[in-house]
Amino acid sequence: MSESAARALARMFGRMAEAIEAEKDHLSELDGAIGDGDHGITMSLGFKAVNKALAALDLDTASPSEVMQTAATGFLDAVGASTGPLYATGLRRAAQALAGRKELDLAACRDMLAAFSEGIRDRGKAQRGDKTMLDVWLPAAEAAATAVADGRSKQDFWKAVTIAADNGAAATATMVATKGRAARVRERSLGHLDPGAASAAALVRAMAETL
Amino acid sequence: MALKTSSPRKGGIGRVNGPEGVDSIPLRYGDDPYVWACWLYYEDGMTQGEIAEAMGVSRATVNSYLADAREKGIVNISIEPARLASLTIAQELKRHFGLSDCLVVPNDDDSRPLIGRLGAAGAQALAKMIKSGDTLAVAWGRTILSVGEHLEMGPLQDVTVVQATGGTTASFAYTPELTTAAVARAIAARCVNITAPAVVASGEMHRMLLAEPLIREQFDTLARANRIVFGISSLRPNSTIHTSGFFESVPLQHYLAKGAAGVLAGRFIDERGRPVAGPLDDRTIGISLEMLRGIGTRVAVAGGFDKVPALLAALRGGYVNVLVTDAATGAGILRADGVTSLDGKLSQRQKSVPVANSYRSHVKKFLNNPNDVVEEMLDGLIAAHKPYLEPVAGSRRALVARDGPRPGKVGLVIGGGAGHEPCFVGYVGKGLADAVAIGNIFSSPPPDPIVKCAVAASGGAGVLFVYGNYAGDVMNFEMAAELAEEQGIPIRTVLTTDDIASSPVEDKEGRRGVAGNFFVFKVAGAACDRGLTLDECEAVTRKANDRTFTVGVALESCSMPQTRRHNFEIGPDDMELGMGIHGEPGVSRERIRTADEIVDTIMDNIFKEMKAESGDRVAVLVNSFGATPLMELYILFRRVEQRLSAKNITIEASWVGHYCTSLDMVGASISILHLDRQLTDLMHHPCRSSILTVNTP
Repeated sequence: MSESAARALARMFGRMAEAIEAEKDHLSELDGAIGDGDHGITMSLGFKAVNKALAALDLDTASPSEVMQTAATGFLDAVGASTGPLYATGLRRAAQALAGRKELDLAACRDMLAAFSEGIRDRGKAQRGDKTMLDVWLPAAEAAATAVADGRSKQDFWKAVTIAADNGAAATATMVATKGRAARVRERSLGHLDPGAASAAALVRAMAETL
Repeated sequence: MALKTSSPRKGGIGRVNGPEGVDSIPLRYGDDPYVWACWLYYEDGMTQGEIAEAMGVSRATVNSYLADAREKGIVNISIEPARLASLTIAQELKRHFGLSDCLVVPNDDDSRPLIGRLGAAGAQALAKMIKSGDTLAVAWGRTILSVGEHLEMGPLQDVTVVQATGGTTASFAYTPELTTAAVARAIAARCVNITAPAVVASGEMHRMLLAEPLIREQFDTLARANRIVFGISSLRPNSTIHTSGFFESVPLQHYLAKGAAGVLAGRFIDERGRPVAGPLDDRTIGISLEMLRGIGTRVAVAGGFDKVPALLAALRGGYVNVLVTDAATGAGILRADGVTSLDGKLSQRQKSVPVANSYRSHVKKFLNNPNDVVEEMLDGLIAAHKPYLEPVAGSRRALVARDGPRPGKVGLVIGGGAGHEPCFVGYVGKGLADAVAIGNIFSSPPPDPIVKCAVAASGGAGVLFVYGNYAGDVMNFEMAAELAEEQGIPIRTVLTTDDIASSPVEDKEGRRGVAGNFFVFKVAGAACDRGLTLDECEAVTRKANDRTFTVGVALESCSMPQTRRHNFEIGPDDMELGMGIHGEPGVSRERIRTADEIVDTIMDNIFKEMKAESGDRVAVLVNSFGATPLMELYILFRRVEQRLSAKNITIEASWVGHYCTSLDMVGASISILHLDRQLTDLMHHPCRSSILTVNTP
């Protein structure tokens, strides 16, 4: 593929919006069980806004970092809620990690995932096991780091990242939420997937499909 | 069942004095011999023979009356629900995980700490299992030490109790040595300690120590164990594993990163119970997971929600065949493993209500495009309330009071998600908030409109942000505060946390803000309008929040315009106590009761926290969540007033109506502001907005 890195990222966001749209009702349903039932709607709004903002960007001249920065602003202005600041901070950190880079090689993808998940962690002050989207993003970022260290192929890299993300999302069913609205229902959150983790896993799959 | 009493019994027999026959059924039983027979049997405690005599029928007839009464549902025999639940959960755990036994302690007795109750139950289980000649391995931990402390056993012979791991520093009470010794003492058994550290400096040291004849002998004893009792540790931040000194924190991070979900006898397992490899593996002296699994009776004693993933991992891995836990944790484990049959079994005998013909899957609403509800609402709202507010240039998600901000006055910015109308926009006006930022339904506004509000509200004396304590709002308002300060506007923040049901008093800061924010906005708005400094405004607003107490109850959940379905179901006879103002479930689900009983529960909770004395003054808000009509709100207010006046507490001001809603939720909340002189004064300060006018002509 001779596609530019900026275009690849834009295509990734397009795929993410499609993935969220497909999962929208399912995500809201998951959220209804332990939260306020709007996660699908919120995510859909956010990614539509990201793509709208990216449509206004000249992808022939934009850097990968600019794409990420534009996505962050687009997402935040549209959404608010808690996903807004979390994803916007993640995307901004990813933009910083990609600053000066032209290629999206596996090392860049690794750094992007690491910066992204750290941004979310810092903004939300959550950690692994809190039954949040971090239970997907942190293992995904770790799997990416391990895959690069082990010199894996591109295909194996994304396979490892996707598996880590899916396992992380599945594991949230066994956790008791301690952050956000789901924390209020305490043990009643058991057995339910965290909607934020489920949407994060869908986003990781979208990344794997496009990068 | 009541004890036999003489008077009603006499009455019963006395009836026989009348003309012979069944026409003498006492008036109070109507014409129903079943009810009469049941009453005499269950309430008066008469024998079937005595009843036969009293009713003038044969004993066999009485017997069939009583049997039929059970069938007809005139008599219901119930087992105390908490006990029944723990039995049901134990059965279900046993079945689901193929355990040989399971003991679940009820959670109805919260007066004793969980560790103590688990210890007593674990002791009870061990006492039944240990036989003369046994070798019992004991792992370390707080819960297992408690087992030892509770254990009482008859005389046994030739029992050996062996420590399952090496030792640790004695900086805490439940070291492997002490835990083992406590159990051994209780059984009067021979105690074998492992006289090596649980974790040694190197693999080399590990090999050397295990080669020592003394330690080898101790391990031989351990290898002979036919029973083991152990706790299960989570790796959550609050786990004692981080503070016990058992492990160094660096390797712990390694195991966490590798997906460790729990620790048993010093060994790490992942969520499926598989061993997790790590740097401590060849430095740990103690029973291996493989050895553990080879032992015949493997008793795990553990409870607490944070341990659910760890317990589930241990059960999945087959490390446990006798489980001792508490009902809430047990139910949590089953739910976490996807067992749904439990809920049906727990809501005992709840007959399925036939779905009426008029049942609809969607709630009817006035809508155009469901995705445009917030925008269309804003169109109407801005037009309707023109005298009070206008959009800040460029954003309809930021509205400013027409006669609010002025030079030298502290600006007050409030905000939050839509769906709570008249919150928050109804509190923008003269003597109230200067500007409001509006998000999507139940979603915080993004930083951008909040910053616009701050700029619009700023009169050069700083700006106060007051909003409900929700993760999303906190993040967006914090980002906005940073941006506003970069523009030279000093920002202070007060989070409203009036919902006393949402967290215990120890975690007051973690509570969410609900309808009581009405009082906090009123006080803050008055303070700003009086021209107090930013410091003073912040302080008095904080005080108002500290003295505001709210509890909500929902009868039906709300429905979102986009889905037009109830966000979740509240059963036909249930209510949700501790309900917030979003679509999320409340704190506990209970059977619905009378209005007075519900108010009493709420007021009892409020009185527990509000240290009001006779003669004190309060402000009261009885608020509808959207669909509950004023009629019912007044019924609630009636009882609130009775409860307050019984304590000689004066209602200085009261509001009844829709002040902070949750779309079309059926339910209400009660908020009480405990006034002092300053707060009373500020409550009476004039204000005027689209929905709240005080002392303004």
